[in-house]
Amino acid sequence: MLDRRIFREIDSVTILLMVLISTVGIIFVYSAIYFQASQFVWRQIIWLMVSLLALLVAIMIDYKFLISISIPLYILMNIILLGLLFFGKLVANTRSWIVVGPFQAQPSEVTKIAVILVLARIFADYREDRLSFKGFVISSLVVGLPVTLTALQPDLGTALTYLPILFGVYILAGMQKKYILIIIIAVLVTGFIGWNYALKDYQKKRIETLLTPNQDPRGAGYQLRQSKIAIGSGGLTGKGYHKGTQSQLRFLPARHTDFIMAVIAEELGFLGLLAVFIIYFLLIYRFFSTVWVSADRAGVYLAFMVTMMIACQFLINVMMLVGLFPITGIPVPFLSYGGSSLMANFLAAGLVINVRMRRFRYV
Amino acid sequence: MARIYEDLTAVIRRSKITLYVLVGLIILVLAFYWKIQVLDHQKYWKMAEANRLRELPLTAPRGLILDRQKVILADNAPSFKVSLVREAVIDYEKTMDNLALLLHLNREELKKRINRYRFIPAYEPIIIMDNLKLEDVSLIEARKDEFPEIKLEVEPRRYYPFGSTGAHLLGYLQEVSVDEIRTQPEKRWRAGEMVGKSGLEKQYNDILTGREGKILEMVDSLGRPRAEISRTEPQPGRNLELSIDFDLQRRAEELLQGREGAIVVMDPRTGECLVWVSSPSYDPNRFISRFSAEEWLALVNDPGKPLENRVIRGLYSPGSTFKIVMALAALNESIINENSTFYCSGSVELYKKVFNCWFQPGHGNLNLPEAIRNSCNVYFYQLGRRLAIDTIASYARLMGLGQKTGIDLPGEKEGLVPSTDWKKRFLRQEWYPGETISVAIGQGPLLVTPLQLACLTSVVANRGIKIRPGLVKGQGKAADREKINLPETVIEKVIEGMWRSVNSQGTGQGAYQPGFEVCGKTGSTQLISRETAERLVQRGGEVKKPHSWFTGFAPRHNPEIVVTVLVEFGGMGGQTAAPIAGQMFKAYREKYVRQTNLQGN
Repeated sequence: MLDRRIFREIDSVTILLMVLISTVGIIFVYSAIYFQASQFVWRQIIWLMVSLLALLVAIMIDYKFLISISIPLYILMNIILLGLLFFGKLVANTRSWIVVGPFQAQPSEVTKIAVILVLARIFADYREDRLSFKGFVISSLVVGLPVTLTALQPDLGTALTYLPILFGVYILAGMQKKYILIIIIAVLVTGFIGWNYALKDYQKKRIETLLTPNQDPRGAGYQLRQSKIAIGSGGLTGKGYHKGTQSQLRFLPARHTDFIMAVIAEELGFLGLLAVFIIYFLLIYRFFSTVWVSADRAGVYLAFMVTMMIACQFLINVMMLVGLFPITGIPVPFLSYGGSSLMANFLAAGLVINVRMRRFRYV
Repeated sequence: MARIYEDLTAVIRRSKITLYVLVGLIILVLAFYWKIQVLDHQKYWKMAEANRLRELPLTAPRGLILDRQKVILADNAPSFKVSLVREAVIDYEKTMDNLALLLHLNREELKKRINRYRFIPAYEPIIIMDNLKLEDVSLIEARKDEFPEIKLEVEPRRYYPFGSTGAHLLGYLQEVSVDEIRTQPEKRWRAGEMVGKSGLEKQYNDILTGREGKILEMVDSLGRPRAEISRTEPQPGRNLELSIDFDLQRRAEELLQGREGAIVVMDPRTGECLVWVSSPSYDPNRFISRFSAEEWLALVNDPGKPLENRVIRGLYSPGSTFKIVMALAALNESIINENSTFYCSGSVELYKKVFNCWFQPGHGNLNLPEAIRNSCNVYFYQLGRRLAIDTIASYARLMGLGQKTGIDLPGEKEGLVPSTDWKKRFLRQEWYPGETISVAIGQGPLLVTPLQLACLTSVVANRGIKIRPGLVKGQGKAADREKINLPETVIEKVIEGMWRSVNSQGTGQGAYQPGFEVCGKTGSTQLISRETAERLVQRGGEVKKPHSWFTGFAPRHNPEIVVTVLVEFGGMGGQTAAPIAGQMFKAYREKYVRQTNLQGN
């Protein structure tokens, strides 16, 4: 199965771009939490190394094999998520972490990979021109289960990051108008039930915040306000590395995770932000090109779902920082501090590289 | 393993459309960032600066108030105050709980106070306690990291080293009121600032108030200071050097201890006041705090009216001291000369009514100087019968009654000089000639302040030069001197009477000082008519004594000092007020005259 030619086909461009973004992330994690212990930086560096290693191991295994074992993997991950709800340790009001000694991991991040693999398996042999009702329901349920389990933790942000994967499937398989109607109804119904019975008060507050951000500067609107001030005050060229007052004086919340782009925008200005956007765009474009050269339908689905997951997560984050999307705790892939997320994104990107490596039909 | 041809064109097309949509979205988001970062940069830059910078006012010490020999009458002492910065409050209710506990404050009162200032910007501190005890200071200092929303600062606090000495003159400070802050045309006062609310502190507030300094510091999101960016030191206010003589002031206060009344000592040459006593007094130190409403209210409601500055706000009938005005008027109107005599039998019937002299056996025949010496009422009734009330009023006004003296203190009262016009206007009645008889001995509706009487006396002492009284050393200006339309010869004749009153066993003999020719006039103001008093005594009731007056100057030639004493319910002027005035003349002479003599020899 392992061919020397495959190694030659390892997509070093994608890997380089990912490492580049991660490095920028580490540099700004260092700036953002300078006043705190620098162990965050070391931890992230170690996570980067581990993620790279995991990526290299993962691409050795043919994605078709991974797809073949996807269902047991998916079931296993959901059992872990379910178990977390009952036995998970409460960290920052959520039960989303497995804590083993000094290490913490977020299974809901890795579960996304399993979801992607299962969906690729389902649609690998899909020949219809349009998305069938059966396909619509099955794909929705496959994503819906871990989303519900994650939302119950409650980790609404991570749960939301599953949705681009599902939308990716819808789009690729050929969306039909009637399904959009069903989705709207489903969203309204779950929205109603969720708002009244499931959502925690702080989550409701955040959604309300999007509508009226300037109401209460110290309350719910505080984060968005401070984020906009940080970004806006950065100007064209920024205040300089480590000189952002909003981040250094801790006006900015979650500086090293969800709001790291605001730190970059404040310290490097619009030009720095633009540079990050360009690197991201190059990465996303590279992912797309893999979609286009994929050898088979499974590969197309795999690469596209991963692309959607990463691209949308990035977009939602940058929209969130300026109030175009509710503040829901979504980190920027590769850039934000967080080992599980980094690992999951590297593994996901590994699937794309995997597809690209094995794009030649005769392999 | 490899599949035979698979048609992927549809899915690839869909993925491409997705890419275009994503690119479009990215461009839109970038445009939005461009707007925030580049177009609205100024706005957000200012907001970021407002976030990180905090301006702290540095209270400027008030100027000191000194006496003429530079004894400090109003000083500053460092004091600790605690303020709340609402901007840094995260949980309001919790902060309230903590503060109430930490500072032993009433939670509701605290909330009320903060509420009162809710209109000021959230970054401006609201003072919630001042004049802290040292143990509280160390307690707060030790826990300041827990409470970034509260600030502990040192401020120079007004301190009056001699407590109640000169309290009415100096005045006191109070927190500037919410209404004053709200209605101030330009930003002058800060919330919680202490401003002069009475006395010299109010009159010279602008001079005494220095220029506030400020610290610009960088703070983090919890309001904890990180670095000082700049500091402007406050400029202390200018000192005020008074004409008051601390030693004489203390002596006067001793003399009036336990009584209600007033003493003014003035230099007739300059108008400078050397003594200013209003009794009872109060200790302004006790309510210089922003939080002493109760103590202050107790003083306001005290029946003895300790807050009232009797020297300029106490209105009294001048009693027999008004005979000075009557004598001047009659002489100048040529109704009498110094040799004209009237007969006093102890009473006289005028307008079908009997008017009594204070000396029931009667004074017999007497001329003007003797009438002044004995303060004979009948003599002056006769003058009152011969002078129209409006003529009397015009002389009273000429001598400065019925109008403000122009002293540099707020709240001075005008007093009242009755006239036909006045009565018509305010009582809608005609003037009865019988009323003029009462006015002739300083009774009736006539009202003066002790300071007005002192000024009147200095006009006499100056032989017709009216001067504006003042409290600041070296302020007597030529513009404040005015020659009134009264010949010196006329005044000299009245002075003769005043001299006899003190030096020739007259009513004012209590003020006699050997070798220091004191000239003066006593007065006692009947609070009720004699008939009423007699009726009261018959029924076994108690009659309150009349107010006791003395006003005079010394020496007779080239006078240096005017002393006016009022003792409420002090009895006859000669009994109480004159001896007190005598002590003041003595004290002055011992301090000033002997010194110059020694130098002269």
